[in-house]
Amino acid sequence: MTNTNRENDDQAFADATAMRRSGEAMIELEGVDKFFGDFQALKNINMRVAKQEVIVVIGPSGSGKSTMIRCINRLEEHDRGRVVVDGIELSDDIRNIQEVRRETGMVFQQFNLFPHLTVLDNVTLGPRQVRNLPKKEADDLAMELLTRVQIPEQARKYPGQLSGGQQQRVAIARSLAMNPKVMLFDEPTSALDPEMIKEVLDVMKELAKSGMTMLVVTHEMGFAREVADRVVFMADGEIVEVGTPEHFFTNPTEDRTKLFLSQIL
Amino acid sequence: MDPQNPYAPVDLGTEEPLPSLEPEGPREHLPPGRWIRKRLFNNRYNSLLTIVLVTVLGFATYRVGRFLFVTARWDPVVTNLENFMIGRFPRAERWRVIAQVILWAATIGLGWGAAVAGARFRATQSGVEYLEDRSLAKLRRYWALVALVVVLLVTAGTLGPAVVAICSVAAGAGLQKLGARVPGRWIGAVWALVGALGVLGFQIVSGFDGLAWLWTAVFVAAGVNSMLSQRGFPDTRRERQTRLAAAAAVFIAAYCIYALLLPALIETEGVGWDNWEGFRVNLLAAAVATVLAFPLGLLLALARRSGFPALRIMATAYIELIRGVPLITLLLMAQYFIGFFLNTSTPLSLVSRALAAMTLFTAAYIAEIVRGGLQAVPNGQVEAGNAIGLSPWKTTRLIVLPQALRAVIPAMVGQFISLFKDTSLLYIIGVAEILKIRELVHAQPAFRGYGIAETLIFVMFAFWAVSFTMSRESQRLERRLGVGER
Amino acid sequence: MGGRHVVPAAPADRRPNEASVIRNSTQPPPGEERGNAVAWHRNIRTLRIVVQVVAAVAVLGLLAWMGSNLITNLQRQNIGTDFGFLDDPTRFQIPFDDGFDPQSPVWQMVLVGLRNTFLAGLIGILIASAAGLIVGIARLSSNWLVAKVAQVYVETFRNIPPLVIIIFFGFAIFTYGPFPILSEATTFSWPGSSHSLLILSNRTWGVPSIVTAAGAGWLGIALVAGAAAAYLVGRWRTRRGDRTGRPPHRVVWFLATFLVIGAAAFFITGKPASMSWPVVSENLRRIDGGFVLNYGFISVALALGLYTASHIAEIIRGSIQAVPKGQSEAANAIALSALQRYRFVVLPQALRIAVPPTINQYLNLVKNTSLGIAVAYAEVTALTLSSIGNGRPAPQSIAILMVAYLSFSLTISLILNMYNRRIQLVER
Repeated sequence: MTNTNRENDDQAFADATAMRRSGEAMIELEGVDKFFGDFQALKNINMRVAKQEVIVVIGPSGSGKSTMIRCINRLEEHDRGRVVVDGIELSDDIRNIQEVRRETGMVFQQFNLFPHLTVLDNVTLGPRQVRNLPKKEADDLAMELLTRVQIPEQARKYPGQLSGGQQQRVAIARSLAMNPKVMLFDEPTSALDPEMIKEVLDVMKELAKSGMTMLVVTHEMGFAREVADRVVFMADGEIVEVGTPEHFFTNPTEDRTKLFLSQIL
Repeated sequence: MDPQNPYAPVDLGTEEPLPSLEPEGPREHLPPGRWIRKRLFNNRYNSLLTIVLVTVLGFATYRVGRFLFVTARWDPVVTNLENFMIGRFPRAERWRVIAQVILWAATIGLGWGAAVAGARFRATQSGVEYLEDRSLAKLRRYWALVALVVVLLVTAGTLGPAVVAICSVAAGAGLQKLGARVPGRWIGAVWALVGALGVLGFQIVSGFDGLAWLWTAVFVAAGVNSMLSQRGFPDTRRERQTRLAAAAAVFIAAYCIYALLLPALIETEGVGWDNWEGFRVNLLAAAVATVLAFPLGLLLALARRSGFPALRIMATAYIELIRGVPLITLLLMAQYFIGFFLNTSTPLSLVSRALAAMTLFTAAYIAEIVRGGLQAVPNGQVEAGNAIGLSPWKTTRLIVLPQALRAVIPAMVGQFISLFKDTSLLYIIGVAEILKIRELVHAQPAFRGYGIAETLIFVMFAFWAVSFTMSRESQRLERRLGVGER
Repeated sequence: MGGRHVVPAAPADRRPNEASVIRNSTQPPPGEERGNAVAWHRNIRTLRIVVQVVAAVAVLGLLAWMGSNLITNLQRQNIGTDFGFLDDPTRFQIPFDDGFDPQSPVWQMVLVGLRNTFLAGLIGILIASAAGLIVGIARLSSNWLVAKVAQVYVETFRNIPPLVIIIFFGFAIFTYGPFPILSEATTFSWPGSSHSLLILSNRTWGVPSIVTAAGAGWLGIALVAGAAAAYLVGRWRTRRGDRTGRPPHRVVWFLATFLVIGAAAFFITGKPASMSWPVVSENLRRIDGGFVLNYGFISVALALGLYTASHIAEIIRGSIQAVPKGQSEAANAIALSALQRYRFVVLPQALRIAVPPTINQYLNLVKNTSLGIAVAYAEVTALTLSSIGNGRPAPQSIAILMVAYLSFSLTISLILNMYNRRIQLVER
């Protein structure tokens, strides 16, 4: 965090500290550094996400947003610092890693649905293989989730037959099927045609209302304004500014933030 | 909108489907006069070429035709036909080979049908229409094989081979139709039946003793296992245990039947499994080597792509070594000293040694093919599998491998064709395949130096017919897999 | 909607018990080593190392066991286990190679074999490239007959094993084929001269060759200088053509310069090279003079050339079709003729795509020369087999054979990889 004008940062930090003392932090990143060879992708990332909080991370490309979010479920390995999810610290311990992956759900920019399985099988694969659910219960769960994301009639189809928006909603259902505590979204609408973005954002809004802890990397400012509890701005691998949406969009403190917002709004 | 293909692009102006972009241009149906003018004489250069080619081809066709049908001496081929096909296989046991041919035709037919049923099942449940071929179109596609069979029948002169041919074709086609009608739940069981039939075909020649029971028991148990589970995924722990117990029971029952009951009832000795001679060798060796090499190649590909440097280095070293040397050197190694690497009490037969060399050779090429398929699976698939908590092994088995293997089917068929052509090299190390039989035929005093070209043409035609048919099928498969599956 | 749904989870796998999960109360400060407290059998890093060690030990152990078996069995059969046999005399005559002394050491025989392998490989590659290019382009001709003939060629040669084609050439066309035996060989001469240009028989062919005398070294140097001068002339013409816009006729100037300098050097050095004409010997059993091609060489080179050409034709056809149609359309839009379109737009792009698989086919061709055994062509595999037949130890001989082919393959693969990497960098 930077040194100038730390009012809002202090407030956020104080909130987070209070949360940690009460033990309610869902995700904690402390002093996280990540290197790709000589290039430092993450510089001293400190962040705490409370339970049921929705955090939106924005920033220019190459700022490390995706890297940070992928460190949380160990798709990338952090080089320094600590990553703790729901009290479980990510280390070299296989069981910790598996546990964290069970507790986090991830939605990718490229959907990454399994093309050789039907939509229903895509959603039930995790519960059956990892949580050892019997087939009938897994199918019921999957249909319930598909109804929740509003595409129950596509259950027997293959991903290749669905539109982009439908595929992304299936991906959301797939992650929800593991009953995660946290949902991570890595630019979920960036690969969608404009007319399909709304349907996915609607699902994400409903998810937020239902009380899921969410960490969303996105360019959709409207979503950030409506749903986020806090907005985090990252640039060049570090967190530049954190604040509530009102503070962030109307009266940002850092110059870099102002520059970025002026370019996109 | 085109009702046959609802996803075809539509020209919004006129609502007519746009012409498809075929690689060789859309097929035109012009009247003969205009077609000749357009495709043969459309400019001066082409006209000249056409005239020259017609003259040369006409002359060549005349000379070749005259040779083939008038002046050629086909008696070496005609009198030695059975030798060419099965070598010096004991004639009294000929029924075994016939039974093997029919059984394997049945196996191929049933397996094909099961594959069709599987594709149709996946298509119907996802709402896509599945297009099937008509039988007559199939006959036209396999004209090369049909020609080979006709030639064989004509040269053989007797009725016996004709009956065998008809029985095999009937068995294959009939079972294919039957297999294609199988409902989705039973497809796994049908595949197990395919395996069992294949093994039966093998054993009917080699005999029912030895490890014969093992293979059949494995397949039958797998079939029972698959029948009891729907779509192959395990259910609750209790269900899984019941299923495995049932499969184990079947396995033990199969053993009892084979090892105890069968010897009491019938004669279980065959003629040994490596009594291979004639064209049969070429076909069998390629098939067996490919089947044996597949698991090894798969492991090598996975090792080469794994994150463990030690495994990667070892796999790469093996693959590059084997791919860098010609197959003949490995076969020579097999002939001269591969037996020295093991401490066997009885020396291994030449055929089994050659088969080992071919398996090791093919495994390296299959590894490269599978590696290409693995590379074609996007990285995001592995990440998604990891993100939902699947272990690396489960991710590979359930997500990466199905996609990778499906993508490389045409390349695998190509590899099989290549191996089939390479079986001609067995001649050089002395295995009695069709080229060696030809040499033996010409060693007979009656045919010394007589009909050399004719026998060679026959051998060339045999190789060509099989190879051409398979390569056509592979091209067709490639086109189909690229379009219809998903 | 709203509110979390609860999945009935199987007991005992929701959360591992407390003691095994590291909580966040007292941790070493960031920067110090993590993972010290993790048990080895759950630690990802140690597991990776353990797996590799186990695998390496297993494989190396297997290889060691096999190696020791090999040595034991060899010793039991009294076969040597070293490479000393390479200095022993060969003890047999190489067919069709009169210059080879049976007393020369085995390693020299190996070199002769390698030379023959590369010779057949080179000629085969030349035939395959020329024929493959022609047939590949013919496949795409607008003339239906030409395209069909090319297709028949490809489908025929691609589906027959190369060994069978070699045997066909060796026995159906040569030994027992339409060519006469040597005593009644057909000869072709230039009208009016007594020298034969070509002698054709069923086992050997004779063609004229060039024999060098003293002073040939100077001629060679002069030819090289002439080539360099011709190259410079070519460049000058190119620059002149760019400047003035008129066609530079590079090729004509290049050839003219080279020929003039070459001819001048030839006469100045006193005509050190002369033609050697082939002639059937007195006893009608061999061809003297000129360059003698034996039927094995011709069969292998021709058969493999035609076989590989069918593969190369398909590669070239595929690569031409891989050039996007928009390229041809753009070329037509700027009014290039068909020939110019092919030369400047389509073929350069197509050939770049075609290079790696074509090099692969060349490699296969050289490896396939090992089939020359079937027609008694004295390439390295055939000679190795003969020497094994003469009592040399098989494992070492075959090992040398494999190393020879392997080093060639690996070199070509390396060059290919470097080429691929360079191409990709340029496109970045």
